Amino acid sequence: MTVLKTSMRNFFAHKGRMALSAIAVLLSVAFVCGTLVFTDTMNTTFDKLFQATSSDVTVSAKGASDSGETTSDNGRPPVMPASVLAKVRAAQGVKSAEGTVFSTSVTVVDHKKDNLSPTSGGPTIVGSWNGNDARTMKITSGTAPKGPGQVMVDADTADKHHLKLGDDLGVISAVGTHHAKISGIADFQVTNPGAAIFYLDTKTAQQTLVGRTGVYTNVNVTAASGVSDPQLKQHVRAALGTGYKVQTAKETADANQKDVESFMNVMKYAMLGFAGIAFLVGIFLIINTFSMLVAQRTREIGLMRAIGSSRKQVNRSVLVEATLLGVLGSVLGVGAGVGLAVGLMKLMGKLGMHLSTTDLTVAWTTPVVGLLLGVVVTVLAAYLPARRAGKVSPMAALRDAGAPADAKAGRIRALIGIVLTGAGGYSLYLAANADKASGGSLWLGLGVVLSLIGFVVIGPLLVAGVVRVLGAVLLRMFGPVGRMAERNALRNPRRTGATGAALMIGLALVACLSVVGSSMVASATDQLDKTVGTDFIIQSDSGQLVTPQAVKAVKGTPGLARVDEYKTYEGDYTTPDGRTLKDTDITAADPAYATDLRTKTVAGNLKDAYLPNSMSVHEKFAKAHGIHLGSKIRIAFKDGATANLTVRAITSSDVVIDSGAKYTSIATLAKYVPADKMPLDQLVFATAKDGQQDAAYKSLKSALHDYPQYKVRDQTDYKQALKDQIGQLLNMIYGLLALAIIVAILGVVNTLALSVVERTREIGLMRAIGLSRRQLRRMIRMESVVIALFGALLGLGLGMGWGATAQKLLALEGLKVLEIPWPTLITVFLGSALVGLVAALIPAFRAGRMNVLNAIATE
Amino acid sequence: MTSAVTIPRHGGTGGRTAVAARARQVVKAYGSGETRVVALDHVDVDIARGQFTAIMGPSGSGKSTLMHCLAGLDTVTSGQIYLDETEITGLKDKKLTQLRRDRIGFIFQAFNLLPTLNALENITLPMDIAGRKPDKQWLARVVDTVGLSDRLRHRPSQLSGGQQQRVAVARALAARPEIIFGDEPTGNLDSRAGAEVLGFLRRSVDELGQTIVMVTHDPVAASYADRVLYLADGRIVDEMYKPTAEAVLDRMKDFDARGRTS
Repeated sequence: MTVLKTSMRNFFAHKGRMALSAIAVLLSVAFVCGTLVFTDTMNTTFDKLFQATSSDVTVSAKGASDSGETTSDNGRPPVMPASVLAKVRAAQGVKSAEGTVFSTSVTVVDHKKDNLSPTSGGPTIVGSWNGNDARTMKITSGTAPKGPGQVMVDADTADKHHLKLGDDLGVISAVGTHHAKISGIADFQVTNPGAAIFYLDTKTAQQTLVGRTGVYTNVNVTAASGVSDPQLKQHVRAALGTGYKVQTAKETADANQKDVESFMNVMKYAMLGFAGIAFLVGIFLIINTFSMLVAQRTREIGLMRAIGSSRKQVNRSVLVEATLLGVLGSVLGVGAGVGLAVGLMKLMGKLGMHLSTTDLTVAWTTPVVGLLLGVVVTVLAAYLPARRAGKVSPMAALRDAGAPADAKAGRIRALIGIVLTGAGGYSLYLAANADKASGGSLWLGLGVVLSLIGFVVIGPLLVAGVVRVLGAVLLRMFGPVGRMAERNALRNPRRTGATGAALMIGLALVACLSVVGSSMVASATDQLDKTVGTDFIIQSDSGQLVTPQAVKAVKGTPGLARVDEYKTYEGDYTTPDGRTLKDTDITAADPAYATDLRTKTVAGNLKDAYLPNSMSVHEKFAKAHGIHLGSKIRIAFKDGATANLTVRAITSSDVVIDSGAKYTSIATLAKYVPADKMPLDQLVFATAKDGQQDAAYKSLKSALHDYPQYKVRDQTDYKQALKDQIGQLLNMIYGLLALAIIVAILGVVNTLALSVVERTREIGLMRAIGLSRRQLRRMIRMESVVIALFGALLGLGLGMGWGATAQKLLALEGLKVLEIPWPTLITVFLGSALVGLVAALIPAFRAGRMNVLNAIATE
Repeated sequence: MTSAVTIPRHGGTGGRTAVAARARQVVKAYGSGETRVVALDHVDVDIARGQFTAIMGPSGSGKSTLMHCLAGLDTVTSGQIYLDETEITGLKDKKLTQLRRDRIGFIFQAFNLLPTLNALENITLPMDIAGRKPDKQWLARVVDTVGLSDRLRHRPSQLSGGQQQRVAVARALAARPEIIFGDEPTGNLDSRAGAEVLGFLRRSVDELGQTIVMVTHDPVAASYADRVLYLADGRIVDEMYKPTAEAVLDRMKDFDARGRTS
């Protein structure tokens, strides 16, 4: 009981010194709980949404996906004849049935030809207004669409683009462009998942989306009373036979939910991973806090031991303090986590997805996980300092404060650190020289983990060298103040090492990813320069296929030497080794594509792959399936006939662009696939006549003005787009790593604040003999900068090593060029100095405010 | 008596005044109303230049407070303190710090040295902070006087308590301050080491012409001084020139007895 009492007293006596550790625990726990609450809430929301939008039983064409996705390669949704509706209506147990037409392969523009699609990546849906929709949407102004001249739009889209009744809209589909005026605006009665939805009447929808009437994409069936959904499904299936997909409401919702959940899980685990890094960094902070508290309390602990406390009791009293800290930080963290989740929901609202706080889902596991994690991590981190406290001898009560350096522990540490770092370095070396990516990535992972731990262990030993170098470069100009700052940073290498290591972890990841990212851009750019022989690339950024009308517009543009189309399709391959490969992709392009993209071949001439009934495969595929020049591959095309194609070229697998493509000509594909099933173009390549590039670029842009969903890019634009894309991804990761870096900064603040307390007497003495406040503050800031730069130097070095290794390994996958992003790395390094300055603000201010006499009199 | 103003303001010490520091009607009080405690009660004092002054008195007599106020470490409630001709009462922290750095030396009872700096660096610290180059010859003489020539590269933790205090003395002397204040500088030392340190202080007065003010409660320490001031209840109650340990002890016993009977 006394142990608990002393711990409680100590804890509350030093609550200021515990505050930063508590915040570190709080942040990490909040991130974990926030992630869990947010993803659970998203799942609840979608669950409700899918329950609400699914009819009792839905019938759709066989080609439709389980979740009701209505896109297909030819740009038109898979449809069923109208006769299906009559059959369903006649089936047993059916109360009513309604045919609907939907498509997501559409773009809608306003009268200025501005794209109305959601920018957040949500779908654009155009469909027929039907009874099922009327349950989830409420017409708030105007009327439902009637006749070809009318369209109804959802309220969110109308708000965002300031659309009003009577505005002219254009619906662009594979069929063509259909113009209509807004007749009504309908508001969501359920959560809008970020989609833009437009309604036409059934006939217009059929015409606009499919090109003919009398077809439906779905039939929504309502059960008669007393008929369950599975029974109804049985009856409908009996009436229709097996040619159609029949799903109960639950099946549809589940299939939809599965898609959402798999996406949410990726997000959840990624975010939890970053929370884990923050926890790891927090551990260093907690270790430092308790080490310093134990050191400051050495005499006190010695006294406790002298009057009869056992080692175990001393040890336990420190751990009890840690538990209190963990509980406090975690409880606050759980609360902050819920707040964070609400914040994220608000953010989603800004992106077009309005989540309701009534759906806020806090599973009972969330606080439990948060609390457990917070407490366990805190207690584990405090374990080493607690053990050290237990080792304090009763004699310490008599000695002056200050623990003597442990030379033996230093040597053991050095040995372990060198072994770990060495093993890590060797693993990285193996990874860099691996000839198989799969084996190499294992070595890479092992190398990263080992070298990280090695650096953490060896860090305190590197402090002396690195800080002296930094001191020589940076601090000399600050004279004696700089020298004292350097000495202070060197004073307790373990503390400086642990504080720097916390920053090191985050920055190592930043450096590694920035090296890999910029190497990706450099490699792709390099290959673009070397292999691309065309001027312009036309494609949609949302993955939509290029409609025939748009292709026609491109082809009609003046100043172009040639336009090449590029399609992908699927088929079941039967290769010479006798195996059948289901749903394998094939790329069909115009023959000149061999010039547009000069992919290297290892055998044959790529141009020959475009001869009738010919194709190419890539080297790895050829090796895996025993394919040589002249081998025949049987391909049963999806929705088409079966072809026997001769392999006339084998391309290198060592490419970034079109990696793994198997080429054939569009003409060959057209022989086996019926015209109405032919896929639309994925990409269109245009090459200008010599010397007319600029003019052609302008003409192309104006030719595609009516199709805002497609982007024309010349090579410069394309490289920039590539760079932006990777830059965006990196920024997102940096943003998430910011959490770990913030915790590390708190660690620097913590170390400095506790050091200042520890050195109160010294500070008093220096002030007494004439150190000015300004000099004192500068001294503390310098120390802080040195610690931060120490962490940054180690982190950036380590991260560059990892990044370079990853690039060497990925060179096997075409990442040929190593590019070290010096501007980024130097910015990070200088940023760390700034971080050091900021971290020192409060400790320096407090040190400056100390009363000289009181400070000298402190025990 | 509440005054120790006995020295002519101008004497035979060259251009400088004969008084290195003086206090006029200095009051230092803590708290207010019923809890008001007066540590210094209208004290007037002159510190003679080139002399070794000891301030004595029982615990709580205000002797340390007086020294702290004279040294610009503490503020006064009312009254004036002058260092040479400079009034230091009312100076802002920045000026006061500069004054301590450039014109005053300190020796504390313990924890005089920065553990991260070696002996020599500790000695030159006040000058380093000021950005001044130490006078090499003077430094050598000071180091020699305190007998530390072979210990200059040692860290404080490698020095004995007596050696540490000698480093502190050397630091106080090295910058050639107008006045050195010692707060029981031998309080933590055994008698031999204490005698050594006091010997150096005496020699620095005799040979280097240094002005020293030392707070102590040890009659033996006080006997090294030229003049002893006695404080009780925040007032100067007596003074003694050319003290001996016995005389000081007798005077102390006197005060003690008086304190007990009154």
